[in-house]
Order: sequence, then C-alpha cells, then structure tokens
Amino acid sequence: MISRAAIAAGSVLLAALAAASTPAAAQFRFDLNRIIDTAKNIGKASTEISEPQEVEIGKQYAAVLLGAAPLVPDPALQRYVNTLGRWVALHAERPALAWQFGVLDSDNVNAFATPGGFVLITKGLLATMRSEAELANVLAHEVSHVVKKHHLNAIRKGAGMQAGMNILGDFVAQGSRNPEITSRLVSGMKEVMLRGLDKDDELEADRMGVVIAARSGYDPYGLPAVLQTLSAMNPQDSGLALMFATHPAPGARLDALDTAMGTRLERYAASARVSAEFGRVTRRK
Amino acid sequence: MKVNLLILLFACSAGIALAQPHGQEAGYAVRQTELKQEPYSDAATTGTLPERAPVKIVSRQGGWLKIESASGAGWVRMLAIRTGATEGAGGDSGLKQLFNVARSGSSGTAVATGVRGLDREQIRNAQPNAAELGRMAQFAASEADAERFANGAGLAAQAIDYLPAQQPGSAGPAGQ
Repeated sequence: MISRAAIAAGSVLLAALAAASTPAAAQFRFDLNRIIDTAKNIGKASTEISEPQEVEIGKQYAAVLLGAAPLVPDPALQRYVNTLGRWVALHAERPALAWQFGVLDSDNVNAFATPGGFVLITKGLLATMRSEAELANVLAHEVSHVVKKHHLNAIRKGAGMQAGMNILGDFVAQGSRNPEITSRLVSGMKEVMLRGLDKDDELEADRMGVVIAARSGYDPYGLPAVLQTLSAMNPQDSGLALMFATHPAPGARLDALDTAMGTRLERYAASARVSAEFGRVTRRK
Repeated sequence: MKVNLLILLFACSAGIALAQPHGQEAGYAVRQTELKQEPYSDAATTGTLPERAPVKIVSRQGGWLKIESASGAGWVRMLAIRTGATEGAGGDSGLKQLFNVARSGSSGTAVATGVRGLDREQIRNAQPNAAELGRMAQFAASEADAERFANGAGLAAQAIDYLPAQQPGSAGPAGQ
C-alpha cells in the first residue's frame, strides 16, 4: 500500500531532477555538466551501489521521515512491529538485510519503505486495521518495494537521472561527512516521498505483498481488506492526501488484485493464523 | 454530535488505543457473484448478488464478507465487493477546519492532523532526526526473534509462487 517512498540508491536522483523547481536548481545544472563525463554508463552506475551504500542511503531517508514524525513512544509496540516485520521479511528475496520497522507518531494514514530495509507505518494507518493479518500484509507490501528496489525504477523514468546518479555517487564516495552533499541527497529524497513511486511498482508490491504475507502464514486477504477500508474513507481527509496522491486509487488496486489473485490464494486464507499480540499491543479487543 | 466529537478527540489523544467501529461498512458488487451459506467456496449457494447491488458488510472471514442485501444475506467473495460507493456522500464536515479532525466515510475512522506529521509541507520542512534513527535501531528484531514469535503464534511458513503480472486482454478474475 502505501507509500513508499522507497528508494534505493538512486532515488535521490529523482530529486535531483525534480529540483529544477528548487533553489538548488542551478547547482543541479552545474552537476549535469560533469555528470556527462562521470556517469557515462548509468545502468552500470546504478548497479554499482553496494548493499552497505544502499543501507546508508536508506538510513538518511528514514531519518527524514523520523524528522517529520518521531516514533510512537511505546517500546512494546515498536518491538512487536519489528518482530512481525522481520518474520514477514524472511519470506521475501532479501531475508538477510538488517530490517528495521517502526510506527510513526502521526495520524496521517500512510506507510513508507526506504532502501536497504527500513519500513515505517503511521499510527494513523495502524489505527484503521482490524487484525494482525492486515498489518502483516501492509508490511509485506513495503518489504516488496525494498527487495525490488523500486526507487531505481522511479529514477530511471526521470529526465534528471544522470544528475541524480551523480549526487548518489558523491554521497557514496563521501558519505554523510559532507553536509552539502547530504543536504542535496535529503532534498532529493523528499521529492521522491512527495511524488511516490511508479504506479506499476505499487501494483507489483500489492501482488507480491499478498504472497509474502501468505508465505508467512497470514491471510493474504489482509491487503484487500485494508484497501477496502481506505476506499471507504473520505478521500478529502487531509490525513489521506499524501498517500492518495502517491498511490493508485484503492479501488484500482483492488481491481488489480482481484484479477491477479482470483481464487489462487483462497486456501491460504483458511489455514491462516495470527498471534495474540496485535490486540494487546494496540490495546484493542 | 458534540458528544461524538469529544469521543473522537479523546480517542485521538489516546493514540492508537482507538477502538475501530468497523461494523456496518457499505459497499457494492463489482460483478454478479454467488451468495454462499458459509465462507467457503464449496458451501451451499443460496442466491445471486447482481452486479452493482448495494450491500451492507456485516463481518469478515478470510477472503469472504458476510453481507446483507436486497437479494438476501450471506457470504460473498471479498474481491467481488468495493467499498465507498457513494460519490460525495462523505464530504468535508467542516470539523476539519474547526478542530483539525476529520471523520472518515463509512468506516468511522478518525483522522487528525497536527503541527508535526507527514503532510506534504511537513515532509518538505523535515530535518533528518539521527537520534530517532538510533532509537529505531534499538527495537530491531533478529531472525531468531522472528522465528520464536512465529512458532508461538502457530504461523506456518508456506512455499507459494508470486502471482503473475496481469496480461492485457487476459481473462478476468477467476473467482465469481
């Protein structure tokens, strides 16, 4: 679902290009000149981002989200979401990443993934959920963005890919030691967060998410259930604005899941389980 | 209404300890679909829900919704139903401007906005919070933690292939 501002290595780039409308535009233009020399092979550059570099970029990205809204001050809740999330992530392609999950203290309804295995969902989204299966499915959707590095796709579509790759390259070379580069990276990340990922990548994360949830022993209909909740909410709610702006409409996502799932996963719904933790940690009956 | 609003505000301030009144959602059928006596594909069929029929969602189980409709009550496949059918039914109540709280559609979910948060502007103005990032790391769970949790809950891992991307022009949903 949800959002995802996932980016991986390169999302940053997007920022770069998107930056045409920011005060940093001049700088990006300057960068463009030298990028042509330094990043002759973009495809190569994007595949050269190592996992530690991807994680470092993801950390910066997560720090921005945490700057917008801190974690809910509830260790039991945070620990629960990490344990559940880690279990879910074990059933996708990158089980060995140092996955971290968190619940943001925001009533906005949204969830985010960042490169390298960071997943954040808002308290507002959690409050709409009926069950652990719904939470597991949302986390699985976010995990899908990370394992597929969907941010790279977002970058590829941008005209400023070279500029973006350059910022990324600078960051990788100099790390967070250079505040100026870090600040360019951060503004790039913000652009990706505000634009969202490619629509097809969101639909892919939906299709993958239900399967990852089912592999983890959860009811794969948790995701359609969340989408039905979102679909029933008033789209004018300000708390929904960013998620709705960065994702296909919930009804369209349900249509796509309807076609993709058919009855294929029905039998896994019947055998699904949940822990007793969800109700306890979220203080619900 | 006033009382409801107070309850909402209180619930919001209590964070996620928010009881969700999920009962009584409204929806409609996106296609003709069978009404079943039980939430299983091999349960007895008790009727047919026509396309676009309005329904009241009473409860949920797995991929099934228990509904009430003019065609009768029973269980239908979740993905044959869409929610939020009525255009414009849930317009802005005006409370948002007054109290920065909005009540959402038929789910009755409360959404509040504050000074801090994840609105567009708030993200634009956000400064990276390294301390909070460090706090987040403290809650990380190991693979062993996750296995223990799953064992305790009786969660059984399954081997399942990913779903194929839909092909343009391919057949529609397999389920009725």
